Amino acid sequence: IMNALGLTQIGLIILCTTTISSLQCNHLHLQQRKLIENSLQLLDKMGEKFPQQCLKEKMSFRFPEQVLKPRQKETVKVVIEEIFQHIFYIFSKNLTLAAWDGTALEQFQNGLYQQIEQLEACVIKKQIHYFWSKEVNRLKLKKYFQKIDCFLKDKKHNLCSWEISRAEMRRCLQLIDKVIRKL
Amino acid sequence: LSYRFGNTETNETEWKELPGCQNVTRMECDFSSAITEYYDTHHVRIRAERREEVSPWSSIFEIIPYFIAQIGPPGIELQSTNGAIKIKVSPPEANQVRKMWISYLDFKYNLVIWENSSNAEFRSQSIFPTDIIDDLAPDTTYCLKVQATLPLDMKEGLFSPIRCVKTTRKAVSDLFCATNVRVLALNMKFHLLWNNRYKQHVSYNVQYLIGYLKKLPDDYSAKWLNVPGCENITDTQCSFSSIITTVSGFYYVRVQAMSEYNTSCLSNEVKVDPLRTNEIGPPGVKVDISDVLLHIQISPPGGSESEVMREHYDLSYRVLYWKNSSNNEEEIKMKEIKQTIGTVSDLTPSTLYCVKVQAFSEFYNKSSRYSEEKCVRTPGDEILPLVILATFVIALIAVLLVATPLVFALYQAYAKMKYVFFPSCQPPLNIEGFGGQLFSSPYMSTTEEPIANFSIIETVITEEVNQIDFKDYKHSKQSSRDSGNYSNDDDTSGSKMSEEMLEKEIV
Repeated sequence: IMNALGLTQIGLIILCTTTISSLQCNHLHLQQRKLIENSLQLLDKMGEKFPQQCLKEKMSFRFPEQVLKPRQKETVKVVIEEIFQHIFYIFSKNLTLAAWDGTALEQFQNGLYQQIEQLEACVIKKQIHYFWSKEVNRLKLKKYFQKIDCFLKDKKHNLCSWEISRAEMRRCLQLIDKVIRKL
Repeated sequence: LSYRFGNTETNETEWKELPGCQNVTRMECDFSSAITEYYDTHHVRIRAERREEVSPWSSIFEIIPYFIAQIGPPGIELQSTNGAIKIKVSPPEANQVRKMWISYLDFKYNLVIWENSSNAEFRSQSIFPTDIIDDLAPDTTYCLKVQATLPLDMKEGLFSPIRCVKTTRKAVSDLFCATNVRVLALNMKFHLLWNNRYKQHVSYNVQYLIGYLKKLPDDYSAKWLNVPGCENITDTQCSFSSIITTVSGFYYVRVQAMSEYNTSCLSNEVKVDPLRTNEIGPPGVKVDISDVLLHIQISPPGGSESEVMREHYDLSYRVLYWKNSSNNEEEIKMKEIKQTIGTVSDLTPSTLYCVKVQAFSEFYNKSSRYSEEKCVRTPGDEILPLVILATFVIALIAVLLVATPLVFALYQAYAKMKYVFFPSCQPPLNIEGFGGQLFSSPYMSTTEEPIANFSIIETVITEEVNQIDFKDYKHSKQSSRDSGNYSNDDDTSGSKMSEEMLEKEIV
């Protein structure tokens, strides 16, 4: 009986702490929606329309859409954080040949960085990353971004490779936007 | 005794021999060269050989390189300047072409630092790739080590080798540095304030840095920019709202103090997360009463520029209302609403109700100060008839006050009009008899005027007296024949006649 009581107490404590800490994380998607809208606008703003001459170089990268439909709904937050981290990395260097609007690019990166920090605080608090860290789908996501990274390196970060990557990242953010709207 | 290691990747079914791991006599082997795809599943098997005898293959050992990889130690560069330690961390695998951790920006670095003395306390803090450790004692030797971590992978890397460095003394010229740098932000208006012990001949530059630059491995010290409008100022405060162009993203601000001798000193940095650093101001409140409902109208904080706040904070309002009676034991009731109009029902009549409102953002866990209290009294049952009566009486008096002079004025006007157009004149007293008939019928025609027909008998009479009489009589007759008018001649002749008559009598 003593054991049962002890367990109940622990259970209650855990329930209480998770409820309190989840208050902010629960509304996170509302804030994320505005931030993603902003990021999409900036992504469009930083460059011109997709150049026709780059169409022939277009690659199919095949984003693994199943990562955004996890069995546990909470996991989608950590997936989004990881995707943002990859996008942040891709847009962090070798941008000279892209010739994009520097201010828009800065704001885009700054916005992504803030979202990453915000998501991470929430994810670690709620221990969502525990299962995701060993997920097989996570590897598929990493392979996708590795492909894009290799593509850019192979093309020596020229204009067309950047424009193709930018269009691909735009698709990515739009998919995330769709998922967040459903939350 | 020797061993073989076999290997397959996820899509391949053929076993390959691991190079460098054939015919080994040790009980271990390094097969890194065979691993090229870090995200793929690899299977390893091993069997023993002795001369011609071969053991069966062992059970398959499955590995995914990425999941079992451990993070190596980062590189450190140290510089001791001005009582602080400047540290530059290079990520693990810094110069490798093929990396396990491709996105090295994901690393979070953990610094452990302690004084190089006995019984020193270890201090652990999170640092950026390029950072300054400044809360240190001068002229002291400190030892430190850094590890790289990946929070999402739940991995903590190996520590770098321990490095020790001695801090210098703080420069004397730093007396004129800006201290106690702090941000005051209300309704998205951002102000930076600071103090300075040295008051004279110091000018300031407020500088800002876009937050994400600290995450990059490049040196960002050249990327600090001056805040427009806060350059070369002597005031110890400045507004930097102009650089907060979006709410998404952090900023760092600092103050550069410049002395008259052209030396400069940089203050501490303050991190600004626009929506979290900002304080929401109190909303405006107006109350109105109808006999059953209390209407509360809220004007959002920030006034006309409150668009940004409303858009990002998703503001809600907490309304407190209570009965303000002489005994302060009335409970304060609370209502949370999302709109800017609220109503309170269930009111007791003839009571003074007071209201105050607070704006809050649930997500950002921020609430404003309360607005000022606004009070209004509910109408009461007993008072109402009195009010009605009083209103009626006042209205009546007002009407009378206005109506009486008006009626009087109208009457006066009517009387004047009547006098001018329809006069009522009194005839003189001596012809009252004639007047009688005339009065009765003022509109009679002139033909009906009674004219006494006097026939004139002209007879010559020798007697003077008679002649005189006749003359006079003629005169009067003649004159009377003229008209009904009574002329002066008549009167005089009339009076003459009476005199003559008197004379006759005398004679």
